[in-house]
Parts: sequence; C-alpha cells; structure tokens
Amino acid sequence: MPFMLPTIIKNLFTGYATRLYPVQVREPFEKARGHVVFLDDKCTMCGACALRCPSVAITTDKEKNELAFYPLRCIVCEVCVHVCPSDAIELIFKWRPSLYDKPVELHQSTRLAHLRESTEEAKKEETKKSD
Amino acid sequence: MTVVEATERLWPVELTPRTKYLRTIWAEMSRCHSHLLWLGLLADAFGFESMFLQFWRIRERILDLIEMTCGHRVIPSVSVVGGVRRDINPEHKKVIMDTLPSIRKESEDLIKVVINDYTVKARTVGVGVLTKELAIALGCVGPVLRASGVREDVRLTKYHAYGDINFEPIVENAGDCYARALVRAKELLQSFDLQMEALNKLPEGEISVKVRGNPPANEAVMRTEAPRGELFYYAKGNGTRNLERLKIRTPTYANLPSLLVMLPGCELADVPVIVLSIDPCICCMER
Repeated sequence: MPFMLPTIIKNLFTGYATRLYPVQVREPFEKARGHVVFLDDKCTMCGACALRCPSVAITTDKEKNELAFYPLRCIVCEVCVHVCPSDAIELIFKWRPSLYDKPVELHQSTRLAHLRESTEEAKKEETKKSD
Repeated sequence: MTVVEATERLWPVELTPRTKYLRTIWAEMSRCHSHLLWLGLLADAFGFESMFLQFWRIRERILDLIEMTCGHRVIPSVSVVGGVRRDINPEHKKVIMDTLPSIRKESEDLIKVVINDYTVKARTVGVGVLTKELAIALGCVGPVLRASGVREDVRLTKYHAYGDINFEPIVENAGDCYARALVRAKELLQSFDLQMEALNKLPEGEISVKVRGNPPANEAVMRTEAPRGELFYYAKGNGTRNLERLKIRTPTYANLPSLLVMLPGCELADVPVIVLSIDPCICCMER
C-alpha cells in the first residue's frame, strides 16, 4: 500500500482528468485528417480520385458532370488530395460532425460546365460562320 | 506499413535513411499505444476498473502525438511505396522529446502498481502456463513466445533502423499470464527509450524516393514485429497495376493455438485473463 500512496495523494490534488467537453473543445492539430471537401470550381471530373480511392467513396461520371461522394465510406487516407491534378480536393482539419443517416454528397463541376458551355458556343459560332 | 514494405521489396526500392527512422518511430509509437491498451484491458479483465482507465488516459497522450505527426489517431497511415507522406519537423520533434519522458514516468509509476500488487499476482501468477517447448511447437510469436523464455524478435533481423539503435528483446521465463504482462510492460518502457534514441539519431534528408511503374513480376516476403508479434506479408506481382497475390499472417493467427494448451483445466474465472493474455484480435485473424 505505501507505494501507492503518492499516486493517491497526487490524484486527490490534481484537477479533472478529462476535458470538460462541451465547454472546452480541443482544437484539431495542424494537418490532422478531419475530412475532405470538393471544390466544384476547380474540378474537371477527370476521375483520378475515384480510380485511386481505396474505400470506393468517390464515383465520377464525366458525361453527366456528376461526382458522388459517400462520406461514411471515406477513411480520410488523403490519397485523393495528393492525386488530384487540379487541386480540387481539400483536407479540412476539423472532424466531420456525426450523422444520423448515410448521405451522398452530389457535386457538379462548375468549371466543366463553363468549359462545355464555351465549347458549345464556339461550335455554334463556327456553324454560323460556315453557314 | 508492412504491406507497403512487402510491395517495395518487389522492385526492390532503396529507402532513404530518414524514411527508415521515421517508420521506426511510428512503429514504436504504435507499439506503445497498443501495449498501453492491452495493460488497460488486462486490468479490466480481472476487474481493476480504475487501473484500466488510468492506462487509457496515458494512451491518449501517445495518440495525441500520433495525431500531431500523422494526422490520424490510431492508424498512422503514412507509408507509401517509396517512403512516407508526412515528416516530423523540428517543432514536432521538440514536442515529442518533451512529452515522451513524462509519459514514460507516468506509465512506470502505474506499472509498478500492477506488477507489485498482491491481487494482480494472485490472479495471474501460475495461470495459463505455456512451456518453452510447447510455445515453440505451437508456433507462438511475439510477447507470448518471449514470456516463455525464447529470445525471438523480428526486430533482431535489423529491418528499418533497428540495426542502428540499441535494441535487446525482453525475455521472461515463467510462461504464465504474469510473465506475459511483465514482458509487455517492460517492452512498453523500452519502446519509449527506442523512440527517444531514434529521434535523437534522426538523420536529415528526403522522406521519400520516386517509384515509377507497376510492381514487377516478382515475389517478396516481409516480416515485421507488430505489437502482438510477428506480422507476415507475402506479395506477388505480375507486372500489372494490381498484385497477383497477397497473403497476410497476423500474430493472433499464430498465437491462437496456444489457447488449446492453456485453457483446459483452468478455472472459469481465469478464462478472460488467459484469452486476453495472447492479445487476441479476431478481426485481424479472419483472413
């Protein structure tokens, strides 16, 4: 028993062992892997992230201009962030809040839409000129 | 990490010294948190609830260090073929160097309580005895084997940076649950020392090398000492993007047969302690 006495005395005079959570919230570490977000204005729907994702959390459809992301499948391995050629995926250091259901995030690339619009306009102009 | 290294051996890729040291440090951090978890679970298995939480409280500080350097709390997930994705920068190094001795001190104090306590001894000494001959015959690995008096540790093969740092496996001769607890407790303290030594010797340089192309048609084997024992990976490439074959043998798979020797004839109340003493991870084993 005497060898435990210092521990007992120490525990009597030290404060709380845990953080008072809702009041005190620990800030995430710099570069902690919280969750990933997709930037629709940079994405080109190339599908590199979908190809490399180890947990099949991303699917892309270039024809429909649609990227589906399943947040609950994501293991935040950061592979998509490294692999994206246009830096359209960003790592957020804060954790994603808990969810009640299994949502699917649908993204539409505005960049691709703009590109398509401009090419269509160019085509129309070309056809006008040829007419 | 082991799967990455098995794949690297297909080329084979020559790693930079810094990569080897970083992998060593993270492997030892994983060992620390795993052994602290196990010591907590052991305390829980014979009904020492407060000790369980005390160990897990220390573990939380190690997890913070892993999260600070790798991003994730439990699985570092930093190894890629050719190197690592994160680096330990000087600020992180300073924080780790400041924190580790205090964590070591705390765990040393707690381990003293576990190891010398009369109740703990009454529940573990002479329970689930595994003799040296049987341990070898049943193919046990890791702390279970070392607690039975066999000087066997994959880290002796000097993979990673274990050739450069001062490492000596911890061996106990009794072969009972108490010896297994003792081996893990001493390994935990040793692991802190190994981390400090590796951090002190951490060489400068690149953290990864570029690896191009698909895995060549070749086969490779990698063994590492995971916290639970020897982890074995076999990889076979065929020149395409995907490996042709990958075989994993986890430590629990090797340690489970020893239960057949330890369990018959024991008291019912000792069953949780004996089963826990091999640190079973059934989800790792099921492959």
